[in-house]
Amino acid sequence: MRYLLPQDVLETLAFISAERYRIPLIIFLIMCFNVLLAPVVAAATPGRVPHWQVYTISLLGLVTVALCVYLFVVIFQPEKF
Amino acid sequence: MPKLSHSLLKKPPLPSALIKMKLTKPRQERKHTPKPKTTGLYSRAFKQAFVKLDPRHLLKNPVMFLVWVGTIITALVTIEPNLFGNTPGNNPRLFNGLITLILFLTVIFANFAEAVAEGRGKAQADTLRATKSDTNARKLLPNGSIQEVSSTSLRRGDQIKVIAGDIIPADGEVITGVASVDESAITGESAPVLKEPGTDMASSVTGGTRIISDELVIRVTSDPGQGFIDRMIALVEGAARTKTPNEIALTVLLAVLTQVFLVVIATLPTVSVYVKSPVSIAVLIALLVALIPTTIGGLLSAIGIAGMDRVAQFNVIATSGRAVEACGDINTLVLDKTGTITLGNRLAEEFIPVNGHSLDDVAKVALASSIFDETPEGKSIIKLAEKLGGRLNFNPKESAGIEFSAKTRMSGTDLPNGVEIRKGAVDAIKGFVRSRNGQITPELDVAYERVSRLGGTPLAVCQDSDIYGVIYLKDIIKPGIKERFDQMRRMGIKTVMLTGDNRITASVIAQEAGVDDFIAEATPEDKIEVIRNEQAQGKLVAMTGDGTNDAPALAQANVGVAMNSGTQAAKEAANMVDLDSDPTKLIDIVTIGKQLLITRGALTTFSIANDVAKYFAIIPAIFPGIGVGDLNIMGLTSTQSAVLSALIYNALIIPALIPLALTGVKFRPLTADQLLQRNIFIYGLGGVIAPFIAIKVIDVLIAAVGLA
Repeated sequence: MRYLLPQDVLETLAFISAERYRIPLIIFLIMCFNVLLAPVVAAATPGRVPHWQVYTISLLGLVTVALCVYLFVVIFQPEKF
Repeated sequence: MPKLSHSLLKKPPLPSALIKMKLTKPRQERKHTPKPKTTGLYSRAFKQAFVKLDPRHLLKNPVMFLVWVGTIITALVTIEPNLFGNTPGNNPRLFNGLITLILFLTVIFANFAEAVAEGRGKAQADTLRATKSDTNARKLLPNGSIQEVSSTSLRRGDQIKVIAGDIIPADGEVITGVASVDESAITGESAPVLKEPGTDMASSVTGGTRIISDELVIRVTSDPGQGFIDRMIALVEGAARTKTPNEIALTVLLAVLTQVFLVVIATLPTVSVYVKSPVSIAVLIALLVALIPTTIGGLLSAIGIAGMDRVAQFNVIATSGRAVEACGDINTLVLDKTGTITLGNRLAEEFIPVNGHSLDDVAKVALASSIFDETPEGKSIIKLAEKLGGRLNFNPKESAGIEFSAKTRMSGTDLPNGVEIRKGAVDAIKGFVRSRNGQITPELDVAYERVSRLGGTPLAVCQDSDIYGVIYLKDIIKPGIKERFDQMRRMGIKTVMLTGDNRITASVIAQEAGVDDFIAEATPEDKIEVIRNEQAQGKLVAMTGDGTNDAPALAQANVGVAMNSGTQAAKEAANMVDLDSDPTKLIDIVTIGKQLLITRGALTTFSIANDVAKYFAIIPAIFPGIGVGDLNIMGLTSTQSAVLSALIYNALIIPALIPLALTGVKFRPLTADQLLQRNIFIYGLGGVIAPFIAIKVIDVLIAAVGLA
């Protein structure tokens, strides 16, 4: 796996998995888990959503994902901005 | 036009302390520099604020880009409130519309802040442009003839001739001629400056200045658009501005905070529906915008642009914002003694005869040794010698002048009959005399110590192997310098004085000036050594210089400030050029660098501290059914008024802090710990308390208007 990833990604992974960054990493992983949990909670919630609203909500979800990707790019390559 | 007597001209290195104190004023406060025109600045900035809504521009600011995307989404839910799910509440369109408007204004205010900062920079750039003009230049061709060309066609290496009344068309070095130059358009000082070839101090000329008398042949040292004034224009206009390391780090921090809040808010709807307290998309976006650091996100670029403008206002050209930021973290300042700590125009105060010679003898030899010396020290020795009856008994035209060098530390005259007359550092003269089989009298050391303990510079004079006496050069410490060094010490900056003088003189001056350390009998190699030693301890070092022998040290230092009157080599090696040629300007630059970093830190602290009040405003309002209603400590009227109040405060705080962002947090010469405590108290605690009061006031107004 190490040989497949670019050098700067490997360096970033080594950086964030260092001992002193354990707590921020745990908080980040809990947040990611929250993202995985949200659809499960939505599925467990009673109620019906009209068909067309599903599309608009999905579009909003895609916009949110795009914003997350954009912010990750800003975090890892800020000199581009 | 008659040739001006050189004695009437201000001669480099530097003007008097009084003029120097005036020269530390920003350009706007100087009488002879054109003032930037700021009429219409705000209306132009307002228009620019709309132009900057272009998403390609907003992409560079992650926080504001998110607010902009949020504005579009809330605009959509204003048109169709149930677009992303059924929206609770009465009149959702009005509520969503108000949120859209407030978010739009938030982006506009942030763009406005940046546009005002850029507008001020452009006004300053226009003023600088006015000092340049596309003039005709007299280009010297290889065959010796003169061709009239446009100044824009001049290239590096071309030789041009300028005569009295001409505007110098490009930056350059004087090859031949001596003339007086009016540099007031750049420095604000009306007294003309003497320019002549071959010296480290006076051979450099700047494009846009005017020759008053005589003529010069100049070698052009920069291509069109690459001169120092052009670089200054590019810097203040922001055209060449890239984000500095500190700005990049802060952008990453803001992006991380934004990312965290985005993920939290994105997962909130499912939880809110599950606990039967559904929240509309507009309110979620409002919560997101209230939580992300929009204040510092909107003002960050304005702070950086204003910082560069402040540097330019002090007539300093920085090659990059990185250099200015580095100034803010400087630990050690390396300064020359003569001209920086002292007035620089040391005057001969007294001759002390030794070895059985009379005062007349010493005056005669001192006069002979200084006849080719054009420095202020040399001229003062001649003046004192003539006053004491010294006369030349040879024809100077048949003699040869020996120039001073840092290696020999002597200068003098070789007479036509082979007699060698020298003056210089006492140990250098001792070496000279010994090499000619002369004897060193103990009176020399007595006189040397006496002058040194007075803080003066002792110069020995000799004729061949016979030492005649010692010249006492009195050096005056600049008024106010001790207080400036105290200020530096309080800021945690160590000052190191370098001088070619002996240890006793150096220690007396060092004590009087209040520097932390000094190095006496320093050579140019010693300057680099001092800088390397400090850097090896992990410290950041700043130094000033103007001579070619300073170039390696200027390049080695973390911040190198070259004097505009210095050589091209020094200016190329440094990362800043002071157009006023004032070595003490480094202190002002360090202050500006620290102010820049402190302003960013203070507003970031304020922005993040604001979130505390916004949690208490919005969260109890949007989750009334799950028992957090007690958190509504401000007693806000309703959900709608709570959200609107928080957003209105969020939007209005940006223009309210524009003046602080542009002028910078006032710098106080305190230690790092004291500054931290003070700023955390004001901007941290103030950032927590201020929004509680402001949001409550806005809530009362909203309720009164009937929007609650």
